[in-house]
Amino acid sequence: MGNFHLVRRADYSIKRVIIYYLIGILISLSIGAILLMSLNINPIEYYSRMLSMGLIGNKFAYKNVESLIKIFVPLLITSLALGLAFKMRFWNIGGEGEFLAGAICASVVAFNSKGMNPFLTVLLMCIAAMLSAGLIGLAVAALKVKFNTNETLMTLMLNYIMLYVIKYLGDTKADWNFFLREDSDRPIFGEFPENAEMGGITIGFFTLQYSLIVAVILTVLIYFYIKKTKQGYEISVVGDSAATAKYAGMNVSWIVLRTMFISASLIGLAAGLATSTAGTVSDSITNNVGWTGIIVAWLSKLSIPAIFVTSILISVLQYGCRAAATQYPAIDQNFADILQGIILFSVLVTDFAATFRIAKREEASNG
Amino acid sequence: MRKLISIVLTAVMAVASVLAFTGCSGNAGGEAASSFKVGAIYINSKNDTAGYTYAHHKGITEAMKQCGLDPEKDLYIVDNVPEDDEKVSQAIDQLAGDGCNIIFGISFGYLNAFDEAAKKPEYADIVFSHATGYLSNDSNFNNYFGRIYQARYLAGIAAGYKSLALGNNEIGYVSAWGTEYAETCSGINAFALGAQSVNPDAHVNVYEIYTWGDQEKERQAAEILIDTYGCCVIAQHCDSAQPQIVANEKGVFGCGYNSDMTKEAPESHLCAPVWNWDVYYATAIKAAMEDHTTFMTKVGNYYEGLNAGLVGVSELSANNEPEAQEAIDLATDLMKSGNWDVFSGVKLSFSGEKGAVTMAQADADLVDNTGAVIVAAGGASVDDGVIQGSMNYYVEGVTQVNSAE
Repeated sequence: MGNFHLVRRADYSIKRVIIYYLIGILISLSIGAILLMSLNINPIEYYSRMLSMGLIGNKFAYKNVESLIKIFVPLLITSLALGLAFKMRFWNIGGEGEFLAGAICASVVAFNSKGMNPFLTVLLMCIAAMLSAGLIGLAVAALKVKFNTNETLMTLMLNYIMLYVIKYLGDTKADWNFFLREDSDRPIFGEFPENAEMGGITIGFFTLQYSLIVAVILTVLIYFYIKKTKQGYEISVVGDSAATAKYAGMNVSWIVLRTMFISASLIGLAAGLATSTAGTVSDSITNNVGWTGIIVAWLSKLSIPAIFVTSILISVLQYGCRAAATQYPAIDQNFADILQGIILFSVLVTDFAATFRIAKREEASNG
Repeated sequence: MRKLISIVLTAVMAVASVLAFTGCSGNAGGEAASSFKVGAIYINSKNDTAGYTYAHHKGITEAMKQCGLDPEKDLYIVDNVPEDDEKVSQAIDQLAGDGCNIIFGISFGYLNAFDEAAKKPEYADIVFSHATGYLSNDSNFNNYFGRIYQARYLAGIAAGYKSLALGNNEIGYVSAWGTEYAETCSGINAFALGAQSVNPDAHVNVYEIYTWGDQEKERQAAEILIDTYGCCVIAQHCDSAQPQIVANEKGVFGCGYNSDMTKEAPESHLCAPVWNWDVYYATAIKAAMEDHTTFMTKVGNYYEGLNAGLVGVSELSANNEPEAQEAIDLATDLMKSGNWDVFSGVKLSFSGEKGAVTMAQADADLVDNTGAVIVAAGGASVDDGVIQGSMNYYVEGVTQVNSAE
């Protein structure tokens, strides 16, 4: 290899970042265009349908906006929560598992809530979800603090454990299993009673779900938590250097435990809200936010306002890709996923190129 | 700097959404009313080349052509939709928004979402049609499925002749599920009864793989049935052609499923029970095109079999015994006439050489494999509800070789 190596650019220029991002998006869209043309599809038509999320000419556009919000809210909250842990250099890649744990516990409340006050039901669902997910996060953090276990492996494996737990619940017909529809001979998840379903503010046909309001308030709160509070400051110090934190007299173990509990229980909250808006649970309830949230957090450089914007963009991208695919017989969901992947990948690559440059080794060593 | 990024990105977002909203207010309903549109929600990809989704997609596109619609333009599909109410609801909203007049959902787990959508007043003009389910309403929501067990009985006849000719009574059956699902259970029973109508000693060994589709498991199951249990014919109720490919490799015979698998197993395949979904889809689309308000009285909950041509067996390959075709034709005609059905107290038996095959009917108890009588001799067929929903036993001569957990 020898002669070349990567150097972090000293001058971080926002202009360059934006230009690089645009180039990245342009390249990915051109690759997509070639693929589309090879399938005899007009790429401009396709992309305009994708960017408008299929809302043009849509008889029930308001419903599609509601669906978009249902995708956006869990992604936003999960990304924020993951961002908190990442800021502390704690690699919580267990968003999926924590989300599922939260979803399961929220459903336990929901399925047994018949006749309860709706507000109280949803509140209880969220608390159950936050506690269960938070405890999982706390357990992983405790193992890390006590035995220095690898949190990446722990959280990763927990994703699969929780996935199989929910699959088991969905596949097992038994008297005790209140998760399933009773009148069906084949196992299928039931629906929550109405009081467990998220309400909203009705504007004409459109219903603005309360979950969106919660998510927006939460974004502001987390922003202030990180920027303005002592705890938020401690998180970034531990993230920069645990030794420094210790030297400054901070209780590092306590900070790790606390932050991981908050991070995981926020993901639980996302799950509580998501099950309530869905009115049911399933093994795909996460919509992969545990994974996508990692991308969102890193694309946003862990900045809270950027996470907010990036979550919107990714939701639009996801929804738009799906909406565009329905109209073209040649394009299936897999193609839409590929296109989405190409776009994300190019943005990540250009982001890398905007932060680093390739330098000749002589420059550095002989100087 | 970060602020600037966020501002720029927000601006992009704002422009996009403005575009979207001006567009929708301008166009809403304009082009939607012009023609009839069909919506479909698939569990797998619409570009599949075999299997369950493929069979339905082929059925819908063929039916649309029969009804004078262009699948390239008038068909809207959301595919790879998991059995998740939230995602199915989203797909329905999308298709409804695209102006679809009838929406088909092909997977059982779409049940709740279809039920909910059909209740919504804004969707009252849309017909919802759900495969393999059991819910419906009076105005715009039906379920549809078919008597595939009749086709399996016919395939059983072909397998019975083969086992008789080989002098080997052991027949294998690779099944996604066993007695947990009436759909698989009734298929196994019908196949066994078909085989026994030719070879009364035929014994069906069921190997359950506990998933609708997993090529590796399907393969292994077929290998075990042939190597350990000495089966001479391998039938299947699972997605891929792997069991047939194994049968071909090991020099035994087989009955596929869903499509004519002779091309995958040229030396061994006998015939396969197949669905002709276009029969239903054409009926449904025609009725909805004429008048969606009379859909439930004209079509209603649809459960047809050989009589409507919804199910059948693929063309018999050259690997079959010479008598098989005649016997299958006789049984087909009898079932089409409506005078006899598989799970009744009357047993068929076939005898005679090619060109002179005869079919006899005799009253006999329908007995399960623990010896309990299900239908007494001469009794009528079990209810459709049992075949579709609650059948949870194997008939005499069927054994599940791997444990039922």
